[in-house]
Amino acid sequence: MKKSFHYKPILFSSLILFGLFVQSCKKETDYVYGVTDVDLNQSDADKPNVKSTNEFISIAYSDIFGTTIPHDKLVKLQTAYTAFGDQKFIEQLVIRNFLNQPGNALPSQGEMTADLDKFIEEAYIKFFARKPNEYEAYYLKNLLTNDPSITPELVYYAMMTSNEYRYY
Amino acid sequence: MKRRSFLKKAGIATAGAFAVPYILPSGRLFAATGSRIADHVVLCLFAGGVRNLESIQKIEGNLMPNILLGSESINPQIAPGMSGIPAPFSTKLQTQGTLFKEFRYAAGATGHFNAHSSVLTGRYNLVDVNLKQRPAYPTIFEYYRKHNSPSMSALNAWWISNSLGPYPALNFSNYPGYGAAFGANYIQPRSIISESGYEVLGNPKNFSSNDIEKINKLRTFCDNNFANSFTPGDAGVTNSFEDAQLLDQFIKDSYTDALSGQYDNPWNSPSGMSGDMFNVFSAEKVIERFKPELLVVNMQDVDIAHTNFTSYCDNMRKADYSVAHLWQTIQSTPGMSNNTIMIVVPEHGRNQEPNTVLDAYGRYALDHNNDAMSREIFCLVVGPSGKVVQNQVISAVEGQTVDVIPSIAKILGFYTDIPGGMLEGMPLVQAFA
Repeated sequence: MKKSFHYKPILFSSLILFGLFVQSCKKETDYVYGVTDVDLNQSDADKPNVKSTNEFISIAYSDIFGTTIPHDKLVKLQTAYTAFGDQKFIEQLVIRNFLNQPGNALPSQGEMTADLDKFIEEAYIKFFARKPNEYEAYYLKNLLTNDPSITPELVYYAMMTSNEYRYY
Repeated sequence: MKRRSFLKKAGIATAGAFAVPYILPSGRLFAATGSRIADHVVLCLFAGGVRNLESIQKIEGNLMPNILLGSESINPQIAPGMSGIPAPFSTKLQTQGTLFKEFRYAAGATGHFNAHSSVLTGRYNLVDVNLKQRPAYPTIFEYYRKHNSPSMSALNAWWISNSLGPYPALNFSNYPGYGAAFGANYIQPRSIISESGYEVLGNPKNFSSNDIEKINKLRTFCDNNFANSFTPGDAGVTNSFEDAQLLDQFIKDSYTDALSGQYDNPWNSPSGMSGDMFNVFSAEKVIERFKPELLVVNMQDVDIAHTNFTSYCDNMRKADYSVAHLWQTIQSTPGMSNNTIMIVVPEHGRNQEPNTVLDAYGRYALDHNNDAMSREIFCLVVGPSGKVVQNQVISAVEGQTVDVIPSIAKILGFYTDIPGGMLEGMPLVQAFA
């Protein structure tokens, strides 16, 4: 009885060592952490804030020229913007001036008509920070298909002077 | 029976004939008061802080020879600091109306914006002023556009200021039931009709009428699908599509005129056009184009008094000339000639005691810190004979800042339509014939 009693700790220790040995030989699991794609487009019903003067001008400039607005131009525009009481009116004037400047990054008529779905979706994401819903996409595609005289410039101007463009 | 039937129908027709003219297309009845003294009002804020001592009391000589009678020569101490301005007009404005020599800005801080706000709302502001907020009570523009009948577009109501800062906020208030829908068109001309303004606004894309039709269709579609909290007024005062086109043309024409040199010293002033002169000149352009029923224009160059007393006096002369030029333009504008009443009033005065800033002519500068003298101002009401009492001077302490708005409401015929308790003052009936 005494002898067998002395063997038990040796056996127990061996089992533990064996277990550790087996564990150490096991291949490590590689955990790869990633980000699940989430649709971050804003709903049109979730835009409670009116863009500030600076925001409106800066964003409009970037949307048309694809680059940030030079500081001195921003200051001049901000001053002119503040100096007129009908902001919608002055916004339209600002955007019409942008559209008349060289270097704007508007798609061509050919690019628009080549893939209307893409044009409409990209315009909505650019200007409204959301995808068009099915009705909007259908209506606009239908309108642009049936009236080839509607240019990307007209679409851009209409969207940039709409109520939704003033909000975020 | 036939005779009875005839009489009955004739009676109804006659009653209808009397009633119909009083019912407008909008369904509103003519205002109860209806009768106007004149169809146009121009309020000129002779602002920047003008002390009665230098203005109507003429202690430095007659610095306002276009407004006031008298040929007192300018104090020789400051005379060398006076710049060249055009010769005075032959008619003195005080002879064409009523001059309140002891008008009062009776309460509230003697700050420019605070006092501007009191003039335009007809209420003294006794609490701290938040320069980022619109007035708490309706402005005269809102009273006019809401209560005048028939209601008028914003092209009939203008606020033309000579500086930005908080002043753009004075074209409408936050008061429930009023606000942007009844506000005035606001413009600060120096920032729009200028080199930098032209650089950023002067070369717009011009769309054809066909294009505009398509744009409107697309925009309306977008707006109809924007279910969010857009409320009219978020973008300030709104002009109708047709009115916006008129404004567009006005700005375009202004740039054309400026490019052709018509804005380069148009009054041939020997010392050039001051800021006040340019602002009044721009107001004249609005008058000539739109013939508004209500226009408010301000001047503030005399505020240089904080650092230069002599220039303060000099700028008062320029402000005086500007007011007279404005009146001349009104009288040469068909539709407004002999049908306009102009009110001229400083927003507040200046302190009795000077500060410590000395100018080149040995005169100390003046601030405005709520002392009794900084509340003493004048008010001039000029207009056609038969509408305004001519050549009348009221030397007693009569009239105050908050009486200006009730007076304008009375002139334009909607004073009694303004709900009770909204206005603190009363019309200056002493001035009306």
